[in-house]
Amino acid sequence: MSEFTMEIDGVSLPLDEDGFLQEPDLWNEKVAQAFAAPEGIEGELTEEHWNVINYLREYYLKNQIAPMIRRLCKETGCNIKKIYELFPSGPAKGACKLAGLPKPTGCV
Amino acid sequence: MISQNSETRSHKAQMVLDRFEKKLNRQMVGSLVSCVHCGLCTDSCHYVLANPGDPTYAPAYKADKIRKLFKRHFDWTGKVFPKWVKAGTVMTDEELEELKDTVFGKCTNCRRCTLNCPMGVDFATFNRMARGLLVSVGVMPEGVATVSKDQWEIGNQMGVLPEDYLDTLEWMSEEVSEELGDPAAVIPVDKMDADIVYTINPREVKYDPRSIADALKVFHAAKANWTMPSEGWDMTNFGLFSGDDDLGGAVARRVYEKTIELRGKCLVMSECGHGYRSTRCEGPNWAKFDIPFEMESSVDTMLRYIKEGRIKVDKSKNPDLVTFHDSCNNARSCGLTEEPRELLQLVCENFQEMVPNRAENFCCTGGGGAMSMTEYTPRRLKSAVIKADQMKATGAKIVVTTCHNCVDGLNDLIRHYKLDMKVTQLVNLVANALVWE
Repeated sequence: MSEFTMEIDGVSLPLDEDGFLQEPDLWNEKVAQAFAAPEGIEGELTEEHWNVINYLREYYLKNQIAPMIRRLCKETGCNIKKIYELFPSGPAKGACKLAGLPKPTGCV
Repeated sequence: MISQNSETRSHKAQMVLDRFEKKLNRQMVGSLVSCVHCGLCTDSCHYVLANPGDPTYAPAYKADKIRKLFKRHFDWTGKVFPKWVKAGTVMTDEELEELKDTVFGKCTNCRRCTLNCPMGVDFATFNRMARGLLVSVGVMPEGVATVSKDQWEIGNQMGVLPEDYLDTLEWMSEEVSEELGDPAAVIPVDKMDADIVYTINPREVKYDPRSIADALKVFHAAKANWTMPSEGWDMTNFGLFSGDDDLGGAVARRVYEKTIELRGKCLVMSECGHGYRSTRCEGPNWAKFDIPFEMESSVDTMLRYIKEGRIKVDKSKNPDLVTFHDSCNNARSCGLTEEPRELLQLVCENFQEMVPNRAENFCCTGGGGAMSMTEYTPRRLKSAVIKADQMKATGAKIVVTTCHNCVDGLNDLIRHYKLDMKVTQLVNLVANALVWE
């Protein structure tokens, strides 16, 4: 078990060694905002960010896996370039982290 | 059979020792007996350089954890005077966990120590062997288990479903044909008798298919007779990382058999270091397969297209200073050092070598499957200071590499060490430099 945690409203949430939330159920909107700055997103998350984050969560909670970028783009109306603009560290390491998903598997 | 102490040895430890013997081919034994503990490997390892004063990272130290088992159970010296040759055994599951921490968590199998060993000890090869022994008794990092399972059961390492893969190819076809205003600029799927069967890393299709779109542009510009297979399209191979030759063989066989079914003339692998090594160099042995077609990296293909005048490129479209990171599997293990440089300099105006380079280059620190082993990320990032310093010294803002795994490894360290750099691959630069006629 990792020793890394983040503090949200005085509650300590466990993270893995790559900084991903270990329990997707402990996620809330403040978690996403707290992850934003370290992932290269300045200031408050916008409606466009939330659109992507909410879709990722919805898909993950239903399927227990992160969606393909194809589905993400189709369902949110963002193209790939837009996704990378919104989340500079990319859909896997950036957007999934903000949405409280565990680290995607594979060599990423 | 290893009988010593077998009444008190754990079942898993007993299985590891029993299976050890089957792995002892000439190459393995040569490396296990010939270390003279001269220490030359020590300074070649990025883990050691980033952790001076911690001897547990030294290649010879790590090697001895495996070597002691060989000495104790299979080599006459360990049977006659075990203490002199530091022979030792393994008794408990806890000891296997400790071994796991070393072979998975303290080495990326980059083989830099191998090249710097005057005795020719190939530590990475028997480190991989030890990983395989542990995997065979279920002792492995969780990430390795997950990815191996996906590759066994779903047929690719990121659990991509067939309909999602095909839908993504269609999507890229739509994007590119629209961009070029040419309805013929699409990806032919399962086309028979193609000159090129193009296989990729699942990372491309799952998270960033822009590299697939760029490959499509290059093939289309070259008027290539090419195709992408509907199955057997994942040329990555976790068998290389996990040490499981059965998995390695099964994964490679899938790619080979599909290429044969399509009667493809040449199997081309996109830019992926371990995928290239696994499919081109190791796979035929793991799969016990005679290959009736050609195999090459897309780097070779793109370079040939330029040399033969099949595509025209304008390097002024890539004016920024770039540097090049050699993938360990491509450069050190497969000798792919000059082709990427030649191609790079045909499509980029300004190039600055990283030092050291080619077979002496340092690992991105994400090699050997390390990107999937979250528990070791803090060590990985600490050891990455060597790579970070090497990159910073070039003054370039763009680092080019021919490996998807390196892309992610380098991106991680760029963020960790706050370097103002971006990572890209040759296919992106070639596509960007294309001159359309």
